[in-house]
Amino acid sequence: MSTIALKGEHWDGHTHGDGINHRHHKIRHKHGEGSSIDFYAYASNIRDWNPAFKVSLSMLTLVLSIVLNNPYVSLAVIVAMGYLTIIEGGLSIQAYLSILMIPISFILLGTITIGIDFSTQPIGQYNLHLGFFYVFTSLAKLKIMFFLMLKVFAAISAMEMMSLSTPSSEIISVMQRVHVPKLFTELMNLIYRYIFILIDVNIKMRNSANSRLGFCDIKTSWYTFGKIASNLLIVSFKKANAYYDAMEARCYDGDLIFLEEDKKVTTLQIAKAAVFVSFLMLLWGFTR
Amino acid sequence: MGEPILKIRDLHYAYGNGTPALNRIDADIYEGEKIAVIGSNGAGKSTFFLNANGVLTPDRGEISYRGTIINKKNLKELRKNIGIVFQDADNQIIASTVMAEVGFGPMNLKLPKEEVLRRVEEALTYMNILDYKDRPPHYLSGGEKKRVSIADIIAMKSEIIIFDEPTAGLDPLNTQMLEEVLDKLGSEGKTMLISTHDVDFVYRWAERAIVFSQGKIIADGTPLKIFQSEEILKKANLKRPTLMEVYDLLVEKHLLEDTKAYPTSTQAFKEMLGNM
Ligand SMILES: Nc1ncnc2c1ncn2[C@@H]1O[C@H](COP(=O)(O)OP(=O)(O)OP(=O)(O)O)[C@@H](O)[C@H]1O
Ligand SMILES: [Mg+2]
Repeated sequence: MSTIALKGEHWDGHTHGDGINHRHHKIRHKHGEGSSIDFYAYASNIRDWNPAFKVSLSMLTLVLSIVLNNPYVSLAVIVAMGYLTIIEGGLSIQAYLSILMIPISFILLGTITIGIDFSTQPIGQYNLHLGFFYVFTSLAKLKIMFFLMLKVFAAISAMEMMSLSTPSSEIISVMQRVHVPKLFTELMNLIYRYIFILIDVNIKMRNSANSRLGFCDIKTSWYTFGKIASNLLIVSFKKANAYYDAMEARCYDGDLIFLEEDKKVTTLQIAKAAVFVSFLMLLWGFTR
Repeated sequence: MGEPILKIRDLHYAYGNGTPALNRIDADIYEGEKIAVIGSNGAGKSTFFLNANGVLTPDRGEISYRGTIINKKNLKELRKNIGIVFQDADNQIIASTVMAEVGFGPMNLKLPKEEVLRRVEEALTYMNILDYKDRPPHYLSGGEKKRVSIADIIAMKSEIIIFDEPTAGLDPLNTQMLEEVLDKLGSEGKTMLISTHDVDFVYRWAERAIVFSQGKIIADGTPLKIFQSEEILKKANLKRPTLMEVYDLLVEKHLLEDTKAYPTSTQAFKEMLGNM
C-alpha cells in the first residue's frame, strides 16, 4: 500500500536541530514522501467521507481506466480524480503534483521502450542518428506510448485519490470488512503504527552517532550504519515487548479491535459516483 | 480503614535473563489512597506495576483484588480495575487516531459502542484534548501524547490508576496540568499509585510513600516519616524535599523554633513564617 511505502529519505532529522519552531511543520513534510501522504490523508477535507465508498470508487475507477483502455476515459479519470483530491479534498496543487510525479521516472522508463526502437539502419518514420546506431520511432508508436502514459497516470491518480484522503487505518478496516484475513490486517495496523516509532528511533540513533563523528568518512559510515541497523533490530524487539505489555494492560486478549466512527454515505455521493461511472462508459462507447 | 482493595503477598519476580527484579514484596493498597512509589533507577518500580496489573505473572506470591485471589481465569478482572499509564507514551499508543486510541481499552472491555463513544468523549474532555479527536497520535508532541495516554486509562474507569513516571519529559506547564488532573482524580476518590523521582512532588502530593531498593520494599509510610529517616534516604539514594531542607536550615540558624512540624506546601510554609 502506497501509504506505508516509505522512501529512504528520513535522514533529515538533523535539520530539527535548527531549533526554529515555526519551521517544524515544514520540515515535517520532508520525512519521506510516504509519511507525507499519510499526513495529507489526515488533513484532507474529504476524510470524513465513508472510507468504503472512497476505496470502492477508487478501485472501480482504477479497473475501468485499465479495462476500457481508452485515452479519453484516462483523461476524464485524471481530471475527475484531481478534482476530488485538490478541489474537494483541499490539497495544494504543488503537493498533489509532486506526489503524482514520484513514479514518473518508472513510467517514463517503462513506456519509452515501447515508443522507440534501435537500429543500425536509418529506418522508421522519424529517426535520430546517434553515432553507431539510429533511434527510430513513428507517430503511431508515439501515440501508443502517450496513451499508455495517460492510462498509467489515470490509474495512479485513482489510487492517490484514495490514499490522499483516507488514513491507512480506515483503509485497513475496509479490507477487514471484505474479509481480508485478520492476521494480515492486524499486522498491517501494527506495522503502520510501528513504522513511525522506528523512524523516530532511527533518526535519534543517527543523530547521536553523527554528533560523535560516526559519519566522518566512508569506512566509519559503513561501520556506523551496520551498528545502527543491528541496534534497530534489538530495539524493535524490546519495543515490541513493551508494546505488547501495554496492550495487555488494557485488556487486549488477542483481538485487535478499534473504535471507528460511523461515516455515512449520502445518496447524493452514490448518485454522483454512478453518474461518473456511466459517463466513463458512455465516453468509451462513443470514442471506441 | 477496612479491607484493602489490593493485597499483595510475598511477590517474587525475575526477568527471563535471571535478574531478580522483585523480591518478597508485601503491600496493601486501600481505597482512595494517594501513594508515591519511589526508588532509584532499576529498583523495580515498573516491574512491580506490571505485576500488580497482571501483565507479568509473578514467579511466586499472590495478589488479591477485593478479597478474590487472582489466578489465570480472573486475570482480566484485575486488568480491568487497575489501569497503568506507561512511562513511555510511545509504547502505549497503538491506534492511529486519538479517538480509536482512547477507545481501545473500552472496546476490549466489550462495551457497547455508544458507551465506548461516551467514555471517549468524557476522557478527552477530562484531559482537555477533545480537539485532537481525529488527529493521528504519531503527529502529536510528547506532552500531548502523554495526555492521550492518560485519557486512555481514564476511559477505562478503573478503580486504581498507576502512573509510571508521569512527569518525565513534561514542561512545567504540562506538569502543572498533570498535577491538576491528579487532584481532580483524587477528589473523585480514585486510588492512585505514582512512581516518580521528584521528591518535592512526593512530599507535596502523596499520603503514603513506598520505597523500593534493589527489588525490595525498604520503607512504607508517610512521606514525612520517610524523608526524616537518614537511613532510608541513604539506602534508596534519595534526596530530601527542598521544603524540609529549608526548614531544617532555618532551625539550625535559630530562625525557626524546632517543632518538627514540617510544612507540606509553600503556602503552609508562608503561613508558618508569617506567624512568627
Ligand atoms: N525487559 C526486561 N528484561 C530484563 N530485565 C529487565 C527488563 N526490564 C527491567 N529489567 C531489570 O529489572 C530491574 C528492575 O527494573 P524496573 O524497570 O522495574 O526499574 P524501575 O524502578 O522502574 O527503574 P526506572 O526508575 O529506571 O524506571 C532492573 O535491574 C532492570 O535491569
Ligand atoms: Mg520504570
